[in-house]
Amino acid sequence: MIQLKTLLNCIDNSGAAIVECIKVLRMKRAAKIGDRIIVVVQKQRNFGPETGPGGQVSISAANKVRRGDIRHAVVVRTAKKLQRKDGSVVRFDDNACVLINKTGEPIGSRLNGVVGAELRDKQWSKILSLAPMHL
Amino acid sequence: MTTSRGSMRSLTSWKTVFRQYRIHKDQRRWQTTLDVSAVSKSAPLLDITPPPAPSVKTHRHIKAFPPRPSTWKRCKDPIAAVMASQMTLLDPTGARKRLFHRSNPESAKVGDILLVRQKNGEPFSGVCMNIRRRGVDTGILLRNQLTRVGVEMWYKIFSPNVSGIEVVQRKAKRARRAKLYYMRKPKHDMGSVENIVRVYSRQRAMLGTAGAKKDAQSYIRQKKKVQKKGKGKKN
Repeated sequence: MIQLKTLLNCIDNSGAAIVECIKVLRMKRAAKIGDRIIVVVQKQRNFGPETGPGGQVSISAANKVRRGDIRHAVVVRTAKKLQRKDGSVVRFDDNACVLINKTGEPIGSRLNGVVGAELRDKQWSKILSLAPMHL
Repeated sequence: MTTSRGSMRSLTSWKTVFRQYRIHKDQRRWQTTLDVSAVSKSAPLLDITPPPAPSVKTHRHIKAFPPRPSTWKRCKDPIAAVMASQMTLLDPTGARKRLFHRSNPESAKVGDILLVRQKNGEPFSGVCMNIRRRGVDTGILLRNQLTRVGVEMWYKIFSPNVSGIEVVQRKAKRARRAKLYYMRKPKHDMGSVENIVRVYSRQRAMLGTAGAKKDAQSYIRQKKKVQKKGKGKKN
């Protein structure tokens, strides 16, 4: 159940670590796996142990998004149970998303973490192919 | 001033007067034969409705239908019947039912590590946290960690999509709870069970072929015995 103000983990290497949902697109209900949302980057992922003045430059070079950026994203895991057509139910321990641009291409080039298999039905095959595992 | 009709009547036309009177007289006679009640209701004088039927009670035979056959008598518990029919359809051997039946001491219990093989998709293994016993709708809740993210799956054990359920490892001590939701807490989380399942599947692959051979041998032996018995009977 992803709705306004929900904090999600960002599992790609776009540079965002934690994002906040500000809008669920095209529906009046909470977002589920495979739904498109708009997020604000709340926390950046810092790569490497750099902490000096030179480190700041490298962080900005590695990160494609910055804190406060507004981006589109696709929900890939929800802590809310989601029932499948065959009667089985899947539930993850966290809420997670992948950042995309406006045309639907993922911003990051790698994903770390399992994603829901519902993405296949929702035509997010590019994200599925990047993911190490889908369930 | 208005004058009465009688005074205006001319004395010369007696004939017409008498004629009028005769008509009136006829009507009067008719009125006396009329039903009093009908007249009192200010009904038209020339009522053509038929007179009321004579009040002689005749026994008319009304066809009475027998009560509809009781569905309750035919099938006292239809839901149980449907469940049983579904069970025979989905679990003809009864092995799946036995695996989770309470009376079976060797049944799968909460805390055991189970492996669910599916017709479409990869097998899923995890710690059984809950067994929801509801006849054909019986389901199990498995928990595992994939890529360090906790994942829980509910499976219907009689689902046609589930091709097999195997007990990978039993819990050393019987769980003292029916539902092990405490395993979601980091303190009690078992983590990934992939290693245990991998060892199990490797062992099973080794034993599986040997077991199959043994089965085949025993089958042949049994067949021979039967043949011998047959021969003995003939002699």
